[in-house]
Amino acid sequence: MKGVKSTNMDHLAPIVILGGVKFDLAAIIMVIVTSVVAFVLARLSVRNLSVDNPGKLQNFMEWVVEFVSNIIGMATDFKRGRVYLSLGLTLIIYIFIGNMLGLPFNFITEAHHGHATFLGMDLFMDGEEEAHFAWWKSPTADAAMTMGLALTVIVISHIQGFRHNRKHYLKHYFEPWPFFFPINLIETVAKPLTLGLRLFGNIYAGEVMIGVILGMGWVGIPALLVWQGFSIFVGAIQAFVFTMLTMVYIGQASIHEEDH
Amino acid sequence: MTITWTNFFVQVVAFGILYLLLSKYAFGPLFGIMEKRRQLVKEQIDTAERNRSESERFLEEQKQSLQQARKEAYDIIEQAKSTGSKQADDIISAARGESTRLKEEAVRDIEAEKNKAIASLKSEVGGLSVQIASKILEKQVDAGAQGELVDQYLKDVGKSS
Repeated sequence: MKGVKSTNMDHLAPIVILGGVKFDLAAIIMVIVTSVVAFVLARLSVRNLSVDNPGKLQNFMEWVVEFVSNIIGMATDFKRGRVYLSLGLTLIIYIFIGNMLGLPFNFITEAHHGHATFLGMDLFMDGEEEAHFAWWKSPTADAAMTMGLALTVIVISHIQGFRHNRKHYLKHYFEPWPFFFPINLIETVAKPLTLGLRLFGNIYAGEVMIGVILGMGWVGIPALLVWQGFSIFVGAIQAFVFTMLTMVYIGQASIHEEDH
Repeated sequence: MTITWTNFFVQVVAFGILYLLLSKYAFGPLFGIMEKRRQLVKEQIDTAERNRSESERFLEEQKQSLQQARKEAYDIIEQAKSTGSKQADDIISAARGESTRLKEEAVRDIEAEKNKAIASLKSEVGGLSVQIASKILEKQVDAGAQGELVDQYLKDVGKSS
């Protein structure tokens, strides 16, 4: 880890421009790392599947499955929400691992004289002469990426609502009275925004805070420990909240309660 | 903080791929195993329930047969007791009858002996008296004595008249 003693300079994302489109290399790397870690963890846990003698990892993964099942059970009816179990599991594992990955260290390269390359590709330096590139961060500490997750699940909820629960799904835009339509529309737009930005805000703030504490030098080490512990807590809570809200939104849209 | 919009698509695509891979290679088998375990547990609970009711039934049966055996044993003891007392009564009454019979026999024997003795005594006494009489009569043949006797009789007659 390279300490950032006197940071009056922002860390830049290592961006390359291919065909006029900007690609954030750090984000791509982190998405891949997170996905690989999640997949390897899941694969390891199902390596020696056993009905009557489950291993430690299998036990853990089964506990996660039970946990997500309970979330679905809380948000909607578990019997009908069962098909979203895999989605919920993927979400909670991916987001949790993503949140955790950004915590332990950072990996920063420096660039001078307004020029830096990665695998022969020029890094975009925004016209600066000197820049620090941060290569390691939580994939969930990027607004575009959390919005990607949020919009994905929100779109799923709308599609499923339209497919399985069309009458009530369309009707709910005009409830309790037709002139509530604009308000319902705003709510519909606000859902993915709050969902994505809540996750982004929490994790990004955590990483910014780590940067600030690092700026304090050696004095900041106890504070850093405390804050990293707190960030683990926040990361777990945010993964839970995101999954929970996903299930609530899907449940609201697509699963019609019998007692209406 | 700059927002790179390609990240959005990168994330969506990556998440989709991760979802498919995890569903196929991790969660599918895991759910299968969990479902299997649920079945196993259900089966075992069913078996346990069945065994329990069966054992209860057996216990009930055992209790009943024990009760029956106890009753039978009681009956047998009762029967033995009554048979025993009856036999004792029989033996006692038989002994009593026997003793009565023996006593009567003895009495009869005694009576018979007595009668026999009396009869023999009688005949003896008869014989003796005849002998005595004959002895007396022999003595009568003596003249002196006869005269004396006659005198005696005569004196007695004179005195009385």
